[in-house]
Amino acid sequence: MQLDAFQALADPTRRRIIETLRQGEQQVGDVVEKAGVHQSGVSRHLRLLHESGFVSVRPDGQRRLYSLKPEPFRELEAWLASYRHLWEARLDRFGAALEKNQRARRAQLRKKRT
Amino acid sequence: MNNQNQARSTSQIVIERTYKAQLAEIWALWTTKDGFESWWGPQGFRVEVQALDARVGGALQYDMIADSPEMIAAMKQMGQPTSHPTRSSFTELKLHERLVLSNVIDFLPGVEPYESKIAVDFSPAGDTVRMVVTLDAMHSEQFTNMQKEGFTSQLTKLDQRFA
Repeated sequence: MQLDAFQALADPTRRRIIETLRQGEQQVGDVVEKAGVHQSGVSRHLRLLHESGFVSVRPDGQRRLYSLKPEPFRELEAWLASYRHLWEARLDRFGAALEKNQRARRAQLRKKRT
Repeated sequence: MNNQNQARSTSQIVIERTYKAQLAEIWALWTTKDGFESWWGPQGFRVEVQALDARVGGALQYDMIADSPEMIAAMKQMGQPTSHPTRSSFTELKLHERLVLSNVIDFLPGVEPYESKIAVDFSPAGDTVRMVVTLDAMHSEQFTNMQKEGFTSQLTKLDQRFA
């Protein structure tokens, strides 16, 4: 199963593993210890994170070393920024619509007074 | 780059605005046909509300219609229809306090239908009202890509407009 970026990060255990890997390249045993997650869980999540492009793995003798890849984070950041931008623009229009209504109401009030 | 923040910020986006206005006026922009049509974009689109029933479980149905020549051309170029019906409903509603709009995303080929939620909280303070909009980050790759393309073209238009 390949997860997209949002699904990959939806899981709190995977987020903990990612936080642990921010300290640098590590082997499974270190991640197990620092993230406080059971070995079998860590292996499964690391595999999913690897498949979804968050984590790279390289062999070092008998060990396998895991580290974070920057690409998916950049993609997420860019997408979230554009999504936020869209909503900022939408709420600018919300504010403009509100002001327009207020101006119309004030004009009507003035009319009533005269 | 801060990966930790990235991981945390992916599930939700929160945007706050404060308006000098009465709560009822602000509420009406979300809960009446005229109000909703007056601002719900996005840029280059107008909205035609078919049904708006501001009650818990009430429907909000509208067509998003490309209405600028550039947007119509852009949608045609992307192979997208220039009008798109949207089905939402008010899944939470507490008068002048909070509303949640749930949007059914069921138009993506190969993607199981899912709900995307927009929660809005209103709190008055003196003669201003604070409005907090909380958005689900969309969670399918296809949708993400489509949004990305759509938004990029939209943002380019925005930039041109305000340049």
